Amino acid sequence: MDWWTGVDGILIYLYRITGWTMIDYFIGTLLLAMIAVLIGDFTTSLVYRANRSYFRNLNSRLGEMHNSSMVALRIKDKAGYKAVNREANDTFGMLFFGMFGLSASYLWPAFFALAWMQSRFDGIKFPLFINDWTSSYFLTFLVSYLLARFAFSALKPYLPYFKHVMNEREEKPEPAVAAGEKAV
Amino acid sequence: MEDRPVPGTIHRDGIDQCQPGERLFKKKRLYKVSLFILVLLLTGLVFSSLASGAPVGNNLGLEGKLGAAIAKAPAGTGAGQIDVNAARGFLGIPGAPKVNPIVAFLWAIWVGWIFTTVGAFGGIMAGVGHMTVFGLGDYAKGFNKNAPELGKVMTDCIRMSNQWLVGLSSGVGTLNFLKAKRLAWPLGLALGFGSLFGGLLIPIVTGGKISFAAYQGWFGIAVFVVGGFLLYETTPKGQAGKKAAKAAAQAFEKSIKEKTEAADQGIKVTKWGVLKIEFSFFGVEFGFNPLVAFAGGMIIAAISSFLGVGGGFLYVPYLTSLVGLPMFVVAGTSALAVLASMVMSIASYLNFTGAAVDWALIGTELIGIFIGSMIGPRTQKYIPDVWLKRLFVVLALYVGLGYFSKGFFGSSWVPM
Repeated sequence: MDWWTGVDGILIYLYRITGWTMIDYFIGTLLLAMIAVLIGDFTTSLVYRANRSYFRNLNSRLGEMHNSSMVALRIKDKAGYKAVNREANDTFGMLFFGMFGLSASYLWPAFFALAWMQSRFDGIKFPLFINDWTSSYFLTFLVSYLLARFAFSALKPYLPYFKHVMNEREEKPEPAVAAGEKAV
Repeated sequence: MEDRPVPGTIHRDGIDQCQPGERLFKKKRLYKVSLFILVLLLTGLVFSSLASGAPVGNNLGLEGKLGAAIAKAPAGTGAGQIDVNAARGFLGIPGAPKVNPIVAFLWAIWVGWIFTTVGAFGGIMAGVGHMTVFGLGDYAKGFNKNAPELGKVMTDCIRMSNQWLVGLSSGVGTLNFLKAKRLAWPLGLALGFGSLFGGLLIPIVTGGKISFAAYQGWFGIAVFVVGGFLLYETTPKGQAGKKAAKAAAQAFEKSIKEKTEAADQGIKVTKWGVLKIEFSFFGVEFGFNPLVAFAGGMIIAAISSFLGVGGGFLYVPYLTSLVGLPMFVVAGTSALAVLASMVMSIASYLNFTGAAVDWALIGTELIGIFIGSMIGPRTQKYIPDVWLKRLFVVLALYVGLGYFSKGFFGSSWVPM
């Protein structure tokens, strides 16, 4: 038995809770989405911690450049404004692309969840009980994932490891958010 | 002396003047030639039927446009045919390359490393992975003659794989900059609507219509453009310009005596118009043409959607040159456009092209990207920026040349 068959054997139990097919499908998909969110948030915390000082330095530089550009605007120093804005652009570029790792770490479990759902539910149209509308596995997972994200954001302050990471982030805020709040 | 007529020629009175023996010889030759032509024809018919093959006849369990295209593709074991008995590969197609997950993972680490060291070139490398390293491009191209519809559907699948990977990777950064609330909303609206339009238009207009060769050729041109920018930055002029800007910025920062803690003045629109919108930010007046902003958003989103890469790094210089806004406002505004075009493009590809996605492949690549992004900041201090860029200029020229020639001329001008 290969590992994919093993994973399949475990995940399908999420879809056998109540015994009613459609209800089980939606509950199972929501639970699968919650697992994807949980794993994604955990790996994001690892990436954030690994790159924390890198982001903080860029963030700080960005804020300084933005402050300077505001001053340059007010005193109408066009050359100074252009110079600091160009530096800020370069720093923004590094920060923007540097965050690609954070995105990737949030989302990778969702794609494996979709791969599993594709192997089980591809081609099946699930009724939405509204106007004969139907949904594919992709749409139901997408909606479930968004709901799971909202729910997890509410639960996070009460979960041990994630609460600690949240506190760390509040003391030293997210890149770009910090620059936005600090700069102007 | 009367000329003896040459057998087979028209004599001066229009009649072939062959002797009886020559006539017999001519008949035998005629039969041989006819037989030869018949054999040739039959051979041609046999080979062409083998080459085109009878169609597969069913979707082999694959849904949507991919399944429909497979049903029409010729069955067989040759190039451009579907071997229905072969093991399933990419997207579940029998006989398609099976992407090695370890190769995909290692390549994605490389892509993630590039994102955090050079930036935009990471998206290019992600596309190179899908097209060349994993062998998907050559496989799609193989259907050009025998099953062009399948080739075009596969091209859309590759484009969408690029879009998912690079587009979603920009998601967190985009949301973060939006959360920072520094958004020039009149400009954001104009740019955002243009981006939505561009992200919607391209999948509708080009979905199922672009051969892999054409896509590869255009991708090669885009690689040249990115390589050109990188090349400029490594030239003495580019380096001097950057140093001068840095020195000017540092000098300006030192000269500032005060940094006023200003109240949040935000953005105030002072004039509305079809051709000009004016607003103030921090007491300074800015203006832009909303039609130009719309057009720019549309073009950038269209390029990004067509190629499956890019967009994020084009908006900022465009906005900076269009409006001259402070970077932080540009960052938030462009983030809105990036998000709008990415969501619309992905949704349009799924809806209008029916392109299929290998979710596990994208998931594997995302893992590689986040690992690569953790390595990048740690190696940056050991590799001078200018030498990194020179390396990527060489790569860009090589890949650009190869893809351009392979795409538009049928064969690569460099080993590939």
